[in-house]
Amino acid sequence: GGLVGGAGDIKLTKDGNTLLKEMQIQNPTAIMIARTAVAQDDTSGDGTTSTVLFIGELMKMSERCIEEGTHPRFLVDGFEVAKKATLEFLETFKTPVVIGDQPDREILKMVARTTLRTKLYEGLADQLTDIVVNAVLCIRQSDQPIDLFMVEIMHMRHKFDVDTRLIEGLVLDHGSRHPDMKRRAENCYILTANVSLEYEKSEINAGFFYSNAEQREKMVTAERRQVDERVQKIIELKNKVCAGTDKNFVVINQKGIDPPSLDLLARAGIIALRRAKRRNMERLVLACGGEAINSVEGMTEDCLGWAGLVYEHVLGEEKYTFVENVKNPHSCTILIKGPNDHTIAQIKDAVRDGLRSVKNTVEDEAVVLGAGAFEMAARKHLIDNVKKTVKGRAQLGVGAFADALLVIPKTLAENSGLDTQDVIVSLENEHDRGLVVGLNHNTGEPVDPEMEGIYDNYSVKRQIVNSGPIIASQLLLVDEVIRAGRNMRKPT
Amino acid sequence: RRSRGVSTYCPRLVSVGSRGSLGSLSSSGAPSLSSAASDQLNVTTWSGNVTRSVEKPHGRNLFLQSLTEQEPNPSTSNGGNNSQKSVEDKDLVECLEKDVNFWTDYTKVQYHPQSLYEMYGSWTDFDKFDNFGTAREVVSEWSLMEEMNEKLRFFVEECDHIQGIQFIVDDSGGFSSIAATYLENIADDYTNTPVLLYCVRDPVTHGSSRNQRDTITRSLHDAVSLSKLSSFCSLMVPIGLPSLSQSSLSPFLSIQDAKPFHSSAISAAAIHSVTVPFRLQNAGPASNIAHSSGNIDMRELVHIISDQGRQNMVTALDVAMPAPSLKDGNDLWNMKSLRTLTPEISDEEEDPYSVESLVVHGVLRAGGHRASISQVKDSVYSAYEGRATKPKFSHLSVSPCPLPIPLPFPSIFRSHIGQHGEILSNHAEGTQPKGSLDVESIPMAARLRSSNAVLPFIERRSLSLQKFGVARGSLGTQILRDWGFGREEMEDMSEHLSKMVRAFHPEGGLTSDSD
Repeated sequence: GGLVGGAGDIKLTKDGNTLLKEMQIQNPTAIMIARTAVAQDDTSGDGTTSTVLFIGELMKMSERCIEEGTHPRFLVDGFEVAKKATLEFLETFKTPVVIGDQPDREILKMVARTTLRTKLYEGLADQLTDIVVNAVLCIRQSDQPIDLFMVEIMHMRHKFDVDTRLIEGLVLDHGSRHPDMKRRAENCYILTANVSLEYEKSEINAGFFYSNAEQREKMVTAERRQVDERVQKIIELKNKVCAGTDKNFVVINQKGIDPPSLDLLARAGIIALRRAKRRNMERLVLACGGEAINSVEGMTEDCLGWAGLVYEHVLGEEKYTFVENVKNPHSCTILIKGPNDHTIAQIKDAVRDGLRSVKNTVEDEAVVLGAGAFEMAARKHLIDNVKKTVKGRAQLGVGAFADALLVIPKTLAENSGLDTQDVIVSLENEHDRGLVVGLNHNTGEPVDPEMEGIYDNYSVKRQIVNSGPIIASQLLLVDEVIRAGRNMRKPT
Repeated sequence: RRSRGVSTYCPRLVSVGSRGSLGSLSSSGAPSLSSAASDQLNVTTWSGNVTRSVEKPHGRNLFLQSLTEQEPNPSTSNGGNNSQKSVEDKDLVECLEKDVNFWTDYTKVQYHPQSLYEMYGSWTDFDKFDNFGTAREVVSEWSLMEEMNEKLRFFVEECDHIQGIQFIVDDSGGFSSIAATYLENIADDYTNTPVLLYCVRDPVTHGSSRNQRDTITRSLHDAVSLSKLSSFCSLMVPIGLPSLSQSSLSPFLSIQDAKPFHSSAISAAAIHSVTVPFRLQNAGPASNIAHSSGNIDMRELVHIISDQGRQNMVTALDVAMPAPSLKDGNDLWNMKSLRTLTPEISDEEEDPYSVESLVVHGVLRAGGHRASISQVKDSVYSAYEGRATKPKFSHLSVSPCPLPIPLPFPSIFRSHIGQHGEILSNHAEGTQPKGSLDVESIPMAARLRSSNAVLPFIERRSLSLQKFGVARGSLGTQILRDWGFGREEMEDMSEHLSKMVRAFHPEGGLTSDSD
């Protein structure tokens, strides 16, 4: 949907999580559902919309049963059974994926593409598929959970539809602040530093009141020397490692660099950026190697990283510095280009979801056939096998759960302007014949998700199946609790 | 240091508010899109259906509209043009008294696109965002805090040299918690940068408690707020009397307590005055150049106030608005003209360990002319000499430039205030308060003061925390737990506040002179 705020700000999104965050929700029930959905996003990165839909459908199915006289408790009991059974079924239904050292790239691409296509039109989604998969594989380090913060997502407003791209390296959102510093350099040593290179009044000096400007100047000069000495050490290191070569030297500092220091560095042919984001310090080291230094004492060549190319790009009033062509990058940047803020925001959201879905797949080492196939199959299992094992009215709960699962394929159908009844019937028929199919939302016909490469995340499915009934049960039992409370207060 | 840039007058500002708090101002700082523009929204990234959810747009009041309207064509007839313009201004003044719902309704500043930030995702009624605990969700949302940090970093990176950071927060509710986290991040990232914190409340938030639980919640909130906020700043200045209309400011100022538009003008003027020394050319605090005397930077101010003797960083802010004129002769500056804006402090004047920084600017002398810097200095020094108990240390900053009163400053001056802020002895009993149309500028005096007058403020909070929070079986322990504080943290905060109180007792707390 498109959201227009009170001042005319526009936000475009297909992402449920984003929608929820932008809305101002007052209704307490809605708030409960929204919180669960957002937690869903935090855990598995997607499925917000599905979770909300599932809860809603569970409530709808329950309402029907309750109207016909079923006590909510039976429904809740039935949900519990159905949930457990569905999760067990998921274990057998899922498709294992080979990860290890050489992950199955094709499957990863299919999962990414499935996710991206739910958020962007096909052409754009497909363009981003490779980027998203490559980004995750780039930052992945064996035996460690994937830290998506190592993929920086940046954006540039660009009039023409220039492509979004993956930079194996970093893009910083600022430039050097000295006119004489080179705007482009190849074969660069990178010094990642967290050292103050700006004049700061010391504690002693702060209490000293000068009787004239000259005295103050003397004090200032003396203290300045400390900073200059630090800068000198950096220049010495540069001279040592770059002498007699065509190598360049770049300093990226988390703290400040004041104009006199910038001058010294510029004269020594060094490119320097100040006040870099803290997170970029980690990423620089991951991308370029070396180590971040907190002090100029004892700096050696080993502290330095390397990048093949460092250059500045100016866009209007904004400056960007690209650090590219690094060896063995474990950090990268996805640079999104779009004509305006809301387009960029939408692409950003989609990319984040795409990254998340690839990460989930790598960590789950499994995927689930998509396009509503799982929900149809699970429902069949519940109705054919599980329901009859349940005694009494709780069976109705199982049935309600099974029917609620249909909300996924139904929604797919609705979004494509198809007749939901027809769709469900034809899918059911296929499943009865033993074919695990989902919905082709273009044609309305059943489709083999494996053939089409439509896959969902295992952990997302798990989360939806798990959390939906919890909330629905709580809501159904509210009346129970109130009634019990009333009974407790009645005189005995 | 927040200061104005050179070519564009864009303040180095990061403003954080809740969703929707910007009213009709877009968060990019640009005037809001017309509804036509948003109708033509081109969705290039999705080929399916698009539903539009349009929030009712906040109208721009007359004042805001006048900012973007074209200048009228210069007329050849002067008289006609002037009278027409003054009619328009009168309408604007009226509009501001009636049609102000958001702070953006009376601002004419051009904001940098990176300045304005609206928090998303806090699904509570704004009315209920009224204590430290209600912001838990917001504060634990990592990406929110990260975005705020990023905005600050953007402005700091631009600075060749950062004098300091000034932080203004309404700490009566959830924003106190957000500020505490933000300040902690600032302390981490900008370790040696002085941070000057103003905790500003308006009379509206001082409402009465509804029940015992409410009272305890408020007391705990104030205590926690003091402890948390003071931990991460260099100087803390609480501002905000429970009532301005009935305060000692009322002889000169006619303020409607229910209007934040009024009360914020007082705080803004006071903060402006007390920070004048930061913004003038710094040639050393004891030097004396033509346009000002006694300029210091933020670090020097912090050192003066909090490092001399008593280890106390909670500072009272007093203001004389307008500041009195000098009479002829050896006139002692009237110290009593300074009225405090800091709540809950005592009238204690005789503190030999007090430290203060006084800024006096735009002062007039008899006859309506601007007094010279040396005249003002002499007058003030004589006044200090004449006190029974002199402060341990005082710093004086003087400048001839007064506080200008342009539109959209509210009309809060009583009718006996003259065009240049002088007190008229001979005036008609007007009932309408004067504003920017009648008062061009006023002389101001503002003072930051660290003295045992602030002890009651600190003590009350320290005692609340002990009584309601930490003591065995206390009623507020559960409240603190709901706010996410464990036993250890409660005890830490309590000890911290006790330490702040101890600084005022001569046996403990005093260090030897640090220079």
